[in-house]
Amino acid sequence: MTKPRHFHVAGTPVPLVDGLEKVTGRARYTADLTTDDALVGRILRAPRGHARIIRIDTSRAKALEGVRAVVTGADCAQSYGVIPIAMNEYPMARDVLRYRGEPLAAVAAIDAKTAQAALDLIELTLEDLPAVYTAKEARAPDAVQLHPDKQGNLEREVHHSFGDPEAGMAKADLVRDEVFSCAEVNHAQMEPHAALADYDPERGHLTFHSVSQVPFYVHLTLARCLGMEAAQIRVVQPFIGGGFGARTETLNFEIITALLARAAGGKVMMHLTREESFLTHRGRPQTDVALKIGMTDKGKITAVKCEVVMAGGAYAGYGLVTILYAGALLHGIYDIENVKYDGYRVYTNLPPCGAMRGHGTVDVRHAFECLLDRMAHELGLDPFAVRRANLLRAPTFTPNDLMVNSYGLGACLDKVETASNWYNRKGKLPPGRGLGMACSHYVSGAAKPVHWTGEPHAVVSMKLDFDASITVLTGAADIGQGSSTIVAVAAADILSVDMSRIRVIAGDSALTPKDNGSYSSRVTFMVGNAAIEAARALRQKLVLAAAKKLESLPEDIVCEGETFSVKGSAQSMLSFQEVALAALAEEGTITVKGTFTTPIKAQGGKHRGGAVGSTMGFSYGAQVVEVTVDIATGLIRIDKVWAALDCGFAINPLAVEGQIEGSVWMGMGQALSEETRFVNGLAVHANLLDYRVPTMVESPDIEVHIVETIDPLGPFGAKEAGEGALSGFPPALVNAVADAIGLEANFLPMTPDRVLEALIKQRRAAKRKVAS
Amino acid sequence: MSANLPEFNLVKPSSIAEALAAFRDQPHAKFCAGGTDLIPNMRHGLFEVETLIDLGQIVGFDAVTINGADIELGAGISLSKLVGRADIRERFPAIVKACEKVAGLSHREAATLGGNLCLETRCLYYNQSEWWRKSNDYCLKYQGDICHVAPRGNRCRAAFCGDLAPAFMVHRAEVELVSLNGARRLPLADLYVEDGAAHLALQPGEILASVHLPAARARSTYGKICQRGAIDFPQAGVAVSCRKEAGVLQFELAFTGTNSKPILLEYREPLGPKTDADSYFEALEKQVQKSVSPQRTTTTAPHYRRLAVAALAVRLARGLV
Amino acid sequence: MKRIVSLNINGKPVEDAIADNLLLIEYLRETRRLTGTKQGCDGGECGACTVLINGRPRLACITLASTCDGAKIETIEGQGEGGRLSALQRAFHENLGTQCGFCTPGMIMASEGLLRQNPDPDDAEIKAALGGNICRCTGYVKIIKSVRAAAQQSAGAA
Repeated sequence: MTKPRHFHVAGTPVPLVDGLEKVTGRARYTADLTTDDALVGRILRAPRGHARIIRIDTSRAKALEGVRAVVTGADCAQSYGVIPIAMNEYPMARDVLRYRGEPLAAVAAIDAKTAQAALDLIELTLEDLPAVYTAKEARAPDAVQLHPDKQGNLEREVHHSFGDPEAGMAKADLVRDEVFSCAEVNHAQMEPHAALADYDPERGHLTFHSVSQVPFYVHLTLARCLGMEAAQIRVVQPFIGGGFGARTETLNFEIITALLARAAGGKVMMHLTREESFLTHRGRPQTDVALKIGMTDKGKITAVKCEVVMAGGAYAGYGLVTILYAGALLHGIYDIENVKYDGYRVYTNLPPCGAMRGHGTVDVRHAFECLLDRMAHELGLDPFAVRRANLLRAPTFTPNDLMVNSYGLGACLDKVETASNWYNRKGKLPPGRGLGMACSHYVSGAAKPVHWTGEPHAVVSMKLDFDASITVLTGAADIGQGSSTIVAVAAADILSVDMSRIRVIAGDSALTPKDNGSYSSRVTFMVGNAAIEAARALRQKLVLAAAKKLESLPEDIVCEGETFSVKGSAQSMLSFQEVALAALAEEGTITVKGTFTTPIKAQGGKHRGGAVGSTMGFSYGAQVVEVTVDIATGLIRIDKVWAALDCGFAINPLAVEGQIEGSVWMGMGQALSEETRFVNGLAVHANLLDYRVPTMVESPDIEVHIVETIDPLGPFGAKEAGEGALSGFPPALVNAVADAIGLEANFLPMTPDRVLEALIKQRRAAKRKVAS
Repeated sequence: MSANLPEFNLVKPSSIAEALAAFRDQPHAKFCAGGTDLIPNMRHGLFEVETLIDLGQIVGFDAVTINGADIELGAGISLSKLVGRADIRERFPAIVKACEKVAGLSHREAATLGGNLCLETRCLYYNQSEWWRKSNDYCLKYQGDICHVAPRGNRCRAAFCGDLAPAFMVHRAEVELVSLNGARRLPLADLYVEDGAAHLALQPGEILASVHLPAARARSTYGKICQRGAIDFPQAGVAVSCRKEAGVLQFELAFTGTNSKPILLEYREPLGPKTDADSYFEALEKQVQKSVSPQRTTTTAPHYRRLAVAALAVRLARGLV
Repeated sequence: MKRIVSLNINGKPVEDAIADNLLLIEYLRETRRLTGTKQGCDGGECGACTVLINGRPRLACITLASTCDGAKIETIEGQGEGGRLSALQRAFHENLGTQCGFCTPGMIMASEGLLRQNPDPDDAEIKAALGGNICRCTGYVKIIKSVRAAAQQSAGAA
């Protein structure tokens, strides 16, 4: 049986290259790895929100039969953190614990029951300190200080001003300001955290499997915290059950598992519960956005002032990047000359925040798109018109030096306006129903990685051997987004071979080239480009071999559909295998590599923090959300979403659709029902009942429109597709609710209780107005 | 051996008599039916038992007996089977509606009528891991001294969150309880006590064996306040029945998720052809607000749950007119 | 306490001495090494562990293995025949009903349970049957599409 063969796969829908494993249950995730000989790891977590650690007595635990290792903060004095200048975390707390749930000690034992029993035998002597749970408490003049070097609990403040914001405001016909408050959210990826560490004391080698999106950073951090040479460590990435940013930095349990394995001299399997996975956190922080916009009566924005306060939890993590992103991505979507940004990242006694899909931009974009809509309304302008009045013209650089080479926002607006029949339906729906829209954008990879080494941003290797198969080696972490598929498609397309000829090996430090990891939507752009370059290098070798064999010039060789021929003469045609063997005859097994390095001009402005937000290209999105609001119960139903995204070029349209649907929907979760909640610093949301990830029942149909602007630097012209649509949903929803029932909400999520309370307040205010 | 559950012995009686005898032998045993409530609670370390008596193997425990217009439901019937019964759907619509709103389909395949009626009460200070509760010095419901919901009170405020009880209550269901001392039958409402730590009037060793539904004389429906279309327990739920007597309409309402027990409201005011419907239902809404007393047992504010369930109750009642 | 339990797992009769407190998910994953069935939560909250017991979808993470004595258990590993995919597996693969894949086994098993009872479900029926299965990647759009595609394919084959 012969299958139809497609050679130009870029741009056609392709199922995931590892999809068969996923639908058959053969895919092995970290927790699925065979563990007959593994010890069970368990972590003792802080019962208090802020306390001095007087003593941790592990003697009874160590003495328990079946216990093979016990470690505490005393076993690792090396701090870590994803940002080299902000490493202020230890895998287990030393001296002071700073949030409820922080690891204090850990045990490896022969089984789970023994491990738990050992944890129960560890004696803690703690001295409670005052704790601060909100940014306001943390910033109070007399607040307890979490870190000795951080006055006022300020992890980082940012003050950026571009153009002349004062003069811009003075030119405005309408100036409005509002404060928006957005709750903290968590990634809630379906796979709970897990790690498997195998330490060979004879060789002094550590083999490490984990759920990470950033195996390379994990590798570096393990070397640092265990005081090992990186060469003695191998990090392998099994199947990963989602990430969304939760695993974009090395996590405490990963280091702890490795410490346990070394202490026990063997293999340790660590499964975190769902509760522990929530406590490990690294989600999007609670964020208050005070936003002021000046606008002409035609809707042109004259100036923006924005103050952002983020409650970031107990440790730095990605915090300073998050607070910088929030300001930087005020730019790059609209043409705004005058922008003032003040950002404050604050420490609190809660689980540390981190990067989450749409890193840093979501809550600020929310505020921006809501206020824009309200000002449009006040000026009698259509929401689409006010966006169109502020479009950029590519290519350009923004006032903060972000490079914009391709820009499809206008086309996105056209698509969703038409698809939703906006003009005929907006303002004309029955009571309780409404339409709202918003725009959004996101980077296609940070132009400067957090670990700046000067190396290329991505490397892909390819091997062609006697069997005429092509093995692609990439360090890119496929976390479900389909990065391995993109790499395969790029290789197949450039080499004009069938996908079945290509195998992708990903994520094993012993085999694959280093990759920075799957975050900031960098993989398709950077790894995709590197894969294309590698494939071109291989193709060139094949073309040379074919030219030699066909006694022709390389530039006259046509490589098409696994055949090589001389341009204009089809009679002497060589098969791929023939050419492959001819090429191998020259030099044996062929290995090539491709790299990608971001151009200097893409790397952002010279101002402090100017690298954050810089990228090779932005995705642009517009979406329309239709809602029905039940004013008696406050419940909001999403009837339909129309989402358009400019992803440059859809290398795999099936995956692009999937990414857009998933990110719109994740934005819906944040907008409607998801939030972390704490009682005296104790997480009460740390399960999938109270952390309300939307179910299929209330999830709407999402109609996706792909806009292609063919970015000059993108692989095949592609940009990112997995994050940009997220931040459009929450403001489109709030704007739709305003359209439906006239409620202008300044909070997220729009839970029924908050909606009802706001409606009651609104009615009271209206009554007072009538009375006075 | 399980890594997630404490150790216990499982007894699998094949008749109620055997189950009762098993309890006599192991007086600290616990009965278990579908396990959809009990097993997660056990995984959270909310209790330990030496013996679990599995009622799932009892022959005929899921039987449905039709006695003329009355229906007797074995307590072991699964919620899925209840949903599939045309006679229940037709005559007791609130019951099927309530069943369909429980958790997810895979839960409903296992969950039983008796289990749902005897559902453990819930509270955000209780339905947490051992680490969590220990960090919070436990609570009155289990291992602790104070109720964190109402620290000045002297009882546990955990809320009853079963969906089915109100639906059966507005149809005036009765439950049959059996023990080694014999059988007794009481109105379903009398099965419950307003105490989150001891909300069932079951005696030790007593089993809820069956539920009796008298001939349906009312139309009914059920609705719940929750954010998601599946999985969620009710933040508040309400069943409403409406019967026509002597040319006027009478409503009965029952609530879940608001108190430590399901609350029955037999609304005495009739709705006649000349009654002003708007003011009638406005008064009903106020009455509902007064009748329920949600506490801070969930992350959703009590005040909201009171207002929303009252609004929902009136909407459902109007829909039955 | 342990007891001998007879089960039929994916068409194969097996007997095992099973501890009374062993959860079905632990039995499948650890004793039988059928790791396709996933644990996504701390008990009964996400649907990732959905398997079929006597043809009906159940949550293996809150089911005691020893209560399944005599039962027919089907897991993701038993779907399809002769190394070929089942209609649902193929539909999930081709329509991108799976991204990270972690919810996929449970989602496919819940869908299998649905299609056996209702070979031609509409969207509302699909949602009602799969509402207890959480997916964090897809927004469910392509999952619904996959189930519909499998139903159509099966109808075409019949």
